[in-house]
Amino acid sequence: MTSTETGIDPITLEIVKNALSSVADEMALVLMRSAYSPVVRDSMDYSTALCDHEGAVIAQGLTLAVQLGAFPDAMFHLKQQYAGRMQPGDIFIMNDPYGAGGQHLPDIYVIKPLFWNGGIEGYACTMAHHSDVGGIAPGSVAIHATDIYQEGLRLPMLKLYEAGKANDTLFQIIEKNTRQPVQVMGDLRAQLAACAVAERGYFELLKRYGGRAVRPYLEAIMDQAERMMREFIRGIPDGAYRFDDWIDGLGESPEVLKIAVCVTVRGDEVDVDFTGTSAQVQGAINCPIAMVRSCSYCAIRCVTSPDIPNCDGYMRPLHVTAPQGTILSPVLPAACAARGVMGYRVFDAIMGALAQVLPERVIAAGEGGPTLFAAGGYHQGKPFVLTEVMVGTWGARAGKDGVEGISNPAANLSNQPVELIEAELPLEVVRYGMVQDSGGAGEHRGGLAFVREFRLLADEAVFTTRADRRDHPPYGFDGGHPGGASRNTLISGTRERVLPTMPMEALKWKAGDVFRHVSAGGGGFGDALVRHPAQVLADVLDEKVSSTAAHRLYGVVIEGNRVDETATRELRERYRAKARAT
Amino acid sequence: MASFVLGCDIGGTFTDIVLHGDGSVRTLKVSSTPDDYSRAILVALTEIRETFGVNPRDIEAVVHATTVATNTILEHKGAKTALITTEGFRDVLEMRRLRIPVMYDLQYDKPAPLVPRRLRFELTERLGARGEIKTALDERQARVIARRLLEEGVESVAVCLLHSYVNAGHEQRTGQILREELGEKTYVSLSSDILPEIREYERTSTAVVNAYIGPIVKHYVSALSSQLKAAGVNGPLHIMQSNGGTMSAAAAAQKPAFLVESGPAAGVIACARVARSAGLGNVISFDMGGTTAKAAMIENGEPARTTEYEVGAGINVSSKLVKGGGYAIKLPFIDVSEIGAGGGSIVSIDAAGSIKVGPRSAGAIPGPACYGLGGTEPTFTDAAVVLGYVNPGYLVGGKVRIDAQLSRDAMQFKVAAPLGLGLLEAAHGVYRIAVATMTRAVKAVSTYRGRDPRDFALVAFGGNGPVVAVAIARELRMRRVLIPPVPGVFSAAGLLFSNVEHTQQRSVLRRTTELSAEHLIAAFEQLEMQVRDEMRKEGIAASRIGIKRLADLRYTGQAFELSIPVPDNTDVAALEAAFHAEHTRTYGHSSDGDPVDLINIRVVASAAPPSTDGLVEGLRDAASNRAKTTFRNAYFGAALGSFETPVIVRAELSGRRMHGPLIVEEVDATCIIPPGCSAELDPHGNILIDAGEQ
Repeated sequence: MTSTETGIDPITLEIVKNALSSVADEMALVLMRSAYSPVVRDSMDYSTALCDHEGAVIAQGLTLAVQLGAFPDAMFHLKQQYAGRMQPGDIFIMNDPYGAGGQHLPDIYVIKPLFWNGGIEGYACTMAHHSDVGGIAPGSVAIHATDIYQEGLRLPMLKLYEAGKANDTLFQIIEKNTRQPVQVMGDLRAQLAACAVAERGYFELLKRYGGRAVRPYLEAIMDQAERMMREFIRGIPDGAYRFDDWIDGLGESPEVLKIAVCVTVRGDEVDVDFTGTSAQVQGAINCPIAMVRSCSYCAIRCVTSPDIPNCDGYMRPLHVTAPQGTILSPVLPAACAARGVMGYRVFDAIMGALAQVLPERVIAAGEGGPTLFAAGGYHQGKPFVLTEVMVGTWGARAGKDGVEGISNPAANLSNQPVELIEAELPLEVVRYGMVQDSGGAGEHRGGLAFVREFRLLADEAVFTTRADRRDHPPYGFDGGHPGGASRNTLISGTRERVLPTMPMEALKWKAGDVFRHVSAGGGGFGDALVRHPAQVLADVLDEKVSSTAAHRLYGVVIEGNRVDETATRELRERYRAKARAT
Repeated sequence: MASFVLGCDIGGTFTDIVLHGDGSVRTLKVSSTPDDYSRAILVALTEIRETFGVNPRDIEAVVHATTVATNTILEHKGAKTALITTEGFRDVLEMRRLRIPVMYDLQYDKPAPLVPRRLRFELTERLGARGEIKTALDERQARVIARRLLEEGVESVAVCLLHSYVNAGHEQRTGQILREELGEKTYVSLSSDILPEIREYERTSTAVVNAYIGPIVKHYVSALSSQLKAAGVNGPLHIMQSNGGTMSAAAAAQKPAFLVESGPAAGVIACARVARSAGLGNVISFDMGGTTAKAAMIENGEPARTTEYEVGAGINVSSKLVKGGGYAIKLPFIDVSEIGAGGGSIVSIDAAGSIKVGPRSAGAIPGPACYGLGGTEPTFTDAAVVLGYVNPGYLVGGKVRIDAQLSRDAMQFKVAAPLGLGLLEAAHGVYRIAVATMTRAVKAVSTYRGRDPRDFALVAFGGNGPVVAVAIARELRMRRVLIPPVPGVFSAAGLLFSNVEHTQQRSVLRRTTELSAEHLIAAFEQLEMQVRDEMRKEGIAASRIGIKRLADLRYTGQAFELSIPVPDNTDVAALEAAFHAEHTRTYGHSSDGDPVDLINIRVVASAAPPSTDGLVEGLRDAASNRAKTTFRNAYFGAALGSFETPVIVRAELSGRRMHGPLIVEEVDATCIIPPGCSAELDPHGNILIDAGEQ
């Protein structure tokens, strides 16, 4: 691009782009630092963005990758319902996945149109996962809800502020419909503060570049992103790439659920079609299409260049569809509070499809996305709620090992400090660490799984949980082994009860009992028998891989602190001969 | 016989020296000696004797800003370190907080843990959150681990047990056992000694950093102390901490994690003092050198501080939204926002066709293209050469020769041609983008904290700070810019202004409604005794010690605290009120009815250096005023065009206001005063620039 071709000065363009992402980051920062609830402050399950005058995302704060596409649907519904009826000082609120562009009820959107000289010149958007919006179980992410009416307070697109005046009725309704009013109201205030920051920052920019005169630059950023995405797609051979991934299923005797994807590359466009995916279920893992789109954009973005601007532009050549009534495009009254698992599986499934054409750019399956664990009860007369969103490991890449102790690539979640949990809640965290031999073997090893255990110190509580990747552990690529399977256990004294991956009920939790979550491990990449013995030795010394597994899976013989080169060569040859024979 | 104080700031390229005494200030720049940084100091001592006729015997104190702590981590050259944790938590160090500072990058790798898993040991013991013992310490096991450390040849060990911030008993006992078993040779770092604060990852990481760099820093300061003695310097060696205070060499060897941002802190302290003498309480300091640019906020004469820092995270934007790229150190730091844009920053064009300045740097070798040392990639300095901003023949008063044609070639082929821009237009574009990037660093310490930069003056220094100062000020509509004397060695001057300082903190973790004034006062007094003791060990008389009390508060449920000064007659209600007010100021909202938690209390003891009399005046007189006015063609963007610009010395601005365009060229820095601005000298030798209405 040159300045003469587009009439846009590339220097100013870069500066505007920089200023916009600075505003979105500042929003994210203010929200995080002044938020009250652990989910926002430590797990950072929230998102901020700035939209242009048409409501297209032009910049996004660096928060949660899968939320990148979270705003387009919300903006669509906002404009559809309120076009011509917005005025300065209005602020909108919404959480409804059916008819408002929401994802699940705990995710509350706060959106402020930014008026400049009497017209809308942009929107400040925030979304935060709130700690409780009512419903059948504390935390509002119960998997056993069978319809959305059991999931809590539904907010269609409403005005939380009208012409600068707070809607007290609405504030009171929200406050009375949560088990955590202080946290929810505090987090809402943090969202409002982020919108105010966005307004200030955006107006500075408009002032500097002459109000509407900034529009061509915003459009140029969109175009630049679109052009880069199309260029990238043109480099992929045309074709239809299919992959099926699986969800273990609900309850005690689960019925497996299928995520079928067909990624069709045609010229400079990509269709992502989920036809063949299982029908929606009576459980809260149905995934509204807004999140399916978001995760699809995220997956495709991850295999392209990180330099592509974070805006609507790059989504233009991507088309995501799923048949209505499936788990990836549920219709009312499907419950969806615990839908996150589907989103992460969408990401994994697209990686599986793209591995067929872009093996050097994909990543083998990781832990499968966050495991939810929400517990609540009363302790010394006061209610308490713990919401944990546990992530932790990456699959291997074509050139290197997976990463352990890291958020899922489709998320950017944090963990809650053990000491804070223990200081604030009647819980003890018994163990938090990595699990030996849980990374999928391969020339490049998958990241290790993690284990996290909680002991209840209060008399009694209930909890809900949602894991996955036990019956269908994270797969490897190019001959790499799958990672270890996940496992949730309830330990009472010496009795261990293995829980279903997605129990369809709130479970009783008694004083002294331990809930243990072992995540799945990352998938491996390539043939384990060609992994460099020195790397296997390092893993053994670090107790990330046992010497038994080194022998059995990698064909590496370790004596003391050294590799027995000769024995290793012989063992590997024997394994290879055996493989050839079968 | 006159006595002198020597300030010495070691950077990657140059070692800057400021010598004060005898009613005057002398400055010196010598090449750094990266193989052994202390050697440059000895070189400087010789030069001081030969050039200034000052005998090392007459140097009564040396104050030193060092990069040894940082470099040890960046280069992974620390001690062989082990870590002992509570059973079940061996991997806290490696799991970190999970989050990473990049998105959509499947090739990302985390920084390797400073202690590998094989050297992380679990110890049977357990405390509850109120410090109660749930499982007693297994002392026998601690001894077994200690012997294992001996076998492994471990040089240093960190201990971080859960909840040691509220009850340090198990940790302290483990420390005793380790010392008994391992002797003096092994460095021991307990988390409860270095950072008795809640949050296990941050505390573990801080203790591990301290252990990892401990033996190296200990060796460095003791070697330097004896070298100084051998050279005839009898005065003590003080080391600058990240919080802008100094401490003795002995204390530095115990608490090396406090030294990580030694150099940048010195610049901010200098800035605060010079601004105060110029009658400015609210300023933003801006320091741009060869590889990075750094900004910090000074409010009512006090630098803003933070306890959130990561070393080795590449760039370090203040109020960092996303961490995880480096090694966390949760200790008091001056809140410096640092970005990878300096004179040597390489200009590149990314996949989107956008110009980027930095964070890759050409370093000292090959350096910018104009150095003629083989660098072909254009740098920020090359853009400044093309624009006519800096001298086309030499830099650093002639110590570095340059060839302007090499700058023009690099800029033409690598930037102008690919983007279809003219040469000057391209160079000015690079300049504007660098300014935009650095503006973000300034915003990070001001608007991101709810402060309006227009209420502040910009104080710019470092070799390149004055080149961009006015442009940054204009971006942010800041009207006033101040360029102090000797901007190129200004940070070293800050060392001479610094107080000796010690900090002690402890976690309180109580709802404010549960606090009694008596309890709070007692807690503060206990910390005060500890810091006074540390000051006494430095030989400081009680009468010289000033005490500051701080409290970190947050609304119940929040994760980030705001630090509030606590007056002597502590009143809980007043404390709450101050917190609500600060919350409104920082985040734009507060909620007076919500419960408030007191998380930590902190006591800072400080003592001013014996004499800073005449230091400000000395700096003024040290400004170089050689050379006479010449002219140079300089380009100020498409709207203004090129000007035949007078190149003057600082003294020309004395007693009269001059209008831009002007270039003030000094030995160690160049100041650009664009058209539309005016400048004059204040009585202290500072250039005061009026950046004009925006």
